[in-house]
Amino acid sequence: MSPTEAGIYGFLILVALMFLKIPVGFVMALVGLGGFAYLVTWDAALQLIAQDFFSVFGSYNLTVIPLFVLMGQVAHHAGISGRLFNAANKFLGHLRGGLAVATIGACAGFSAICGSTSATAATMASVALPQMKKYNYDPALATGVVAAGGSLGILIPPSTIFIIYGILTEQSIGKLFLAGVMPGILMALLFVATIFIWTKFRPELVTPAPRSTFREKIASLAGVIETFILFAAVMGGLFLGIFTPTEAAAVGAFGTILIALAGRNLTWKGFVQALNETTRVSCMILVIVAGATVFGHFLAVTRIPFDVGSWVQGLPLSPNMIMALIIFIYVLMGCLMDSLAMITLTIPIIYPVITSLGFDPIWFGVIIVVVTEMGVITPPVGINVYVVAGVARDVPLHVIFRGALHMLMAQLATALLLILFPQIALWLPQLMH
Amino acid sequence: MLRTLAKGIDRFSARLNEVSAAAVVFIMLLTCADVVLRAFDRPIPGTYELVGYFGVVIVAFALAWTSVERGHIAVELLVDRLPRRAQALIEGAGSIVAMALFSSLAWQSQVYARDLMESGDVSLTLGIPTWPFVIVLTFGCVMMAIVLLVDAVRRIKRGILP
Repeated sequence: MSPTEAGIYGFLILVALMFLKIPVGFVMALVGLGGFAYLVTWDAALQLIAQDFFSVFGSYNLTVIPLFVLMGQVAHHAGISGRLFNAANKFLGHLRGGLAVATIGACAGFSAICGSTSATAATMASVALPQMKKYNYDPALATGVVAAGGSLGILIPPSTIFIIYGILTEQSIGKLFLAGVMPGILMALLFVATIFIWTKFRPELVTPAPRSTFREKIASLAGVIETFILFAAVMGGLFLGIFTPTEAAAVGAFGTILIALAGRNLTWKGFVQALNETTRVSCMILVIVAGATVFGHFLAVTRIPFDVGSWVQGLPLSPNMIMALIIFIYVLMGCLMDSLAMITLTIPIIYPVITSLGFDPIWFGVIIVVVTEMGVITPPVGINVYVVAGVARDVPLHVIFRGALHMLMAQLATALLLILFPQIALWLPQLMH
Repeated sequence: MLRTLAKGIDRFSARLNEVSAAAVVFIMLLTCADVVLRAFDRPIPGTYELVGYFGVVIVAFALAWTSVERGHIAVELLVDRLPRRAQALIEGAGSIVAMALFSSLAWQSQVYARDLMESGDVSLTLGIPTWPFVIVLTFGCVMMAIVLLVDAVRRIKRGILP
């Protein structure tokens, strides 16, 4: 069997084992181990997994993950999402579909201190859904908005997906974070536009909430200050080059704890829960990264990345058409696969193609995040929809998916605008020098 | 008998997870202290390498508990649609496969630790030996393999018994 054939069989076995419900990180490590042993030797393969796992777990750069996860978890347990929603609601709630618009605003705000889509969706679901229910919002619209709004968690920095992408491709995490800011704001605005258009045609889906007084509006702003300070400290430090990403995350997490304690918003129980979630989520992510590293080393000894690269370059298509095709494939994969597994598996193959076609690696990172955001709300494997379903137990899954698919339009529009105007993503990171 | 044993293992995994949580708090505080002291030209030497080493503690000590809590992401799409018994058997077989992975990882990391000990590999600034942290990984993988074994037995029993 040639190395290329071994690689192809490796992929097939990988997919088969994944569908047998063996955790994706384990499967990648196993197939990587077996494939490497087949092409090289068992001894070399066994040494490889021990070293890969140790170097991933002990990587200074990857410790940024538990720290940012902790920051988001503490923010959740300290009720920051509730205060953000309250402020957004005071300003926007009286508009047509105003509570949904306020939910998007609060999601964008919470995304500025949380780097995960499912954590953002979970915390906003528990805050915003009861309010929308109170005003008789259509369940599909209410849940769909939360599931889609939560996806902003990985586009607006901090973002676990940017971190993983940055480490896999050796790009600056700081630059990737900055590149996500404008597209994040753009997507939030397009979500709002989608809500306005949706409720224009179906006004019966929503009932207006009362307008709040000027005094209430000003008072609610106090709940936004903490988020603003935390975001400014983390991103400012990264932007000015004072902090490494790990330092930014440590300062952000500790700052969130201090602010929560100062406001008497964090109980010991909440803190312990936040820590438990943190170790679980970080362990899950880092095992996937370690498994993908082993699998990547196997891929490197097959000829697959090289073959795919030369095949794509031989296609009679323009670079933009190839990009559209790649995005299409990612959207399809995102329907079936966990986002992290999808990225760690495909980047070693796709990334060389992208750079050889002359695309900007930072810009492509943003594209990857946007397609991942679609993946978290598309059926059948849309993690955010499951998260929202966990909170809204009275709403069936297909209803949430229906709502979320309306919001998918805004995500597709964002991807299209990013292809047409790469500067949306790139001008902020270009300022950083 | 199996149930008491399984309970004990779960509880021990939870304790280990607390060590992992403590390590998260430790690297957070250490990094913040370093950032603050750096402003006064007194950085804490070896912060980066300590944070890296404790990264191993965070993941290795959380491995087993994450598995108990079913926190390792898997594709449930297909298997969850099968009849209950088939589900239990496939999941049990999956746990055995995963156990094979973590057993070989445990064995091989221990070999790796011995190599590092013999070659005298130490960190650059503080000169802390690397091998104890590789042993931490070994330990985490051993616990993980035990948790997976118990899980496999539990599921296969459920698949076979009426």
